[in-house]
Amino acid sequence: MKAKKRVVTSSGGRLPKVAKPAKGADKPKRTPTVRTIKSAIVPVDRTPRPGSDRPRVETGSAAVADLGAPAAVRTSLAEREALDRIDLSVELSPTRGLRLVNPIMVASGTFGYGVEYGEVVDVQRIGAICCKGTTLKPRAGNLPPRVTETPGGMLNSIGLQNPGVDAVIEKYGPVWQGWKVPVIVNIAGESIEDYVEVARRLDGVPGVAGIELNISCPNVGKGGLQFAIDRDAARAVTAAVRRATDLPLLVKLSPNVADVRPIAKAIEEAGADAITAINTLSGLAVSPDRTRAFLGNTYGGLSGPAIKPVALRIVYEVAQVVSIPIVAIGGITSLADVLDFFACGAVAVQVGTAIFADPELPVRLGEELAAECMRRGLTSYRPLIGTALPKRAGASSAKGAEYRP
Amino acid sequence: MTMRLVSAELVESRQILPGQWIQSFNAPELATGSRAGQFVHVRTGDYSGLVLRRPFSINTADPATGIITLHFRTVGRGTEWLTRAREGDRLDMLGPLGRPFEVDPRSRHLLLIAGGLGMAGIRMLADEAVRDGRQVVVLFGAQSASHVYPSSLLPDEVEYVVATDDGSLGHHGFVTELAIDYEAWADQAFACGPHAMLKRLAALAAGRRERLGVAKLGRKRGGGKQDPLGSTSARRKAFLQVSMEQTMGCAVGACLGCTVIGVEGPQRVCREGPVFAAEEIAWESIA
Repeated sequence: MKAKKRVVTSSGGRLPKVAKPAKGADKPKRTPTVRTIKSAIVPVDRTPRPGSDRPRVETGSAAVADLGAPAAVRTSLAEREALDRIDLSVELSPTRGLRLVNPIMVASGTFGYGVEYGEVVDVQRIGAICCKGTTLKPRAGNLPPRVTETPGGMLNSIGLQNPGVDAVIEKYGPVWQGWKVPVIVNIAGESIEDYVEVARRLDGVPGVAGIELNISCPNVGKGGLQFAIDRDAARAVTAAVRRATDLPLLVKLSPNVADVRPIAKAIEEAGADAITAINTLSGLAVSPDRTRAFLGNTYGGLSGPAIKPVALRIVYEVAQVVSIPIVAIGGITSLADVLDFFACGAVAVQVGTAIFADPELPVRLGEELAAECMRRGLTSYRPLIGTALPKRAGASSAKGAEYRP
Repeated sequence: MTMRLVSAELVESRQILPGQWIQSFNAPELATGSRAGQFVHVRTGDYSGLVLRRPFSINTADPATGIITLHFRTVGRGTEWLTRAREGDRLDMLGPLGRPFEVDPRSRHLLLIAGGLGMAGIRMLADEAVRDGRQVVVLFGAQSASHVYPSSLLPDEVEYVVATDDGSLGHHGFVTELAIDYEAWADQAFACGPHAMLKRLAALAAGRRERLGVAKLGRKRGGGKQDPLGSTSARRKAFLQVSMEQTMGCAVGACLGCTVIGVEGPQRVCREGPVFAAEEIAWESIA
């Protein structure tokens, strides 16, 4: 604890020297062509890095020194400043630039287009917003009912209701442009051409910071087989979108496969900047009179705390086979959940279902993460990443011989 | 009023009918800004496996005392938890949400039709109408006499007519059969209840203008310009407005979970509703 404090304090004097590159990185609007951003995250890097590597614009060495003050005498203002000085930023695409001020994102489909919660949530304090799944043409979605609560979670089958990519750009692009929080547009399609066309239309749109591919859609060209459960289809759609746009590209994995690792690897090889894991688990609920399925679409996707262990397992597995950043999602309701996913190798997380009960959760998790770092004497949350991963190559779960129920 | 997160203190909880409760909460922010037809999204304190909030119509709201009431039936773990809440407990409520009933300023006679717990959806409209000096008839349908909403909980000024499925009180049959008698009297009708009831009422209301030959007195404002379907002005002119129900996720319009099928595509109950003009709903999609 004491040693770490000294590291922080001593680095204070050096900070202004390296403050310059940060100015580019901290600009409110991300410009994809700027390649000055230095630090990519190495998911399993466990060495705590002092401030020199993560320069900040507003460095005041006196305030940095305050971090070392005993809690009892620290004023709330000093505490506030110290918390602000903890580096929660994360770069999801070192080559194309997708810098988040903190690693707490909101998940696609649970936060609309970022405007719905109005004044209840201060969107500017969220790490990034993944907007509702967007397709080339408008979609009316599935028949109601579309949601139902299940033990520890919920089932949904919205069916990608959305006004189409052009309407989304027209209606929300100007709003997003005025925000400093990056908006990642989640896109879906029924053919590779659909995905490519949506990506092409989003390319260069001010206010669009990146793309997240929802590949859990039936591939009409391949007899309705989901892209996400077929390694070659996942590779093909990722590569095609990669060629179509220079926007940072995240690809969202489906858990509904026997082994997700070859698919994750294919996605990485095809040029994705980051992987999001996981989408919902396929599930079913029965109507109260037990004469039919409850949801209008019969099947729904299960989300919420019930799926957290599955998400942890998949993040844990994927972290060992890919070197691109992993954004974890699945049942996060508290800081402990966030830390669990970090420990399994995720560099950022998405909060979804929990927002419905607790809209302020994403913002609060960012604050709690900073406080947790301070409590542990860390200047960055990076040392928390990958701590639960096997310590050496060849550990049991890397050999594929683990227990599979 | 814009929605906000409110900490509402439970001040009274009582069981008014078997399995039906009315709870009063001290929540001045909600009591002053809400209108009849709007709802709140309540977080239950039982976090063990309950991941969603519960939507409830605002049953009554009294700006003078800052008290709102919620009327609900125990149907599952969330509502059961609510019945165990004690005076002084604070509940996390998001609201007021949704669009309210729109009463035409020229309407003198309001017909309010409720089926079962649908009373919670129209109860506040009775208060508003009485306050504004309108005449109100409340038609209420229930299974039997033991499920009939107590008349003592309604304003004295309203006429209260009851129908029961088994004939144990009032009209023997459905409340929709009563509605026919009052159709000519009413300037506007507002309904909340099972979707089958609303569908029947919508069928009765369709073509009313042609059948009754409603007089068009004086020049129509707007010069014959058609109000867009779903707009406040179009709803204000609609004869029948219905409060719809659907399983709900976020309640703010983000998740698109609570849709019903409208004639112009899916409509979010939480955002475009819960109140709709009857002609906005594609009734053939409702069983």
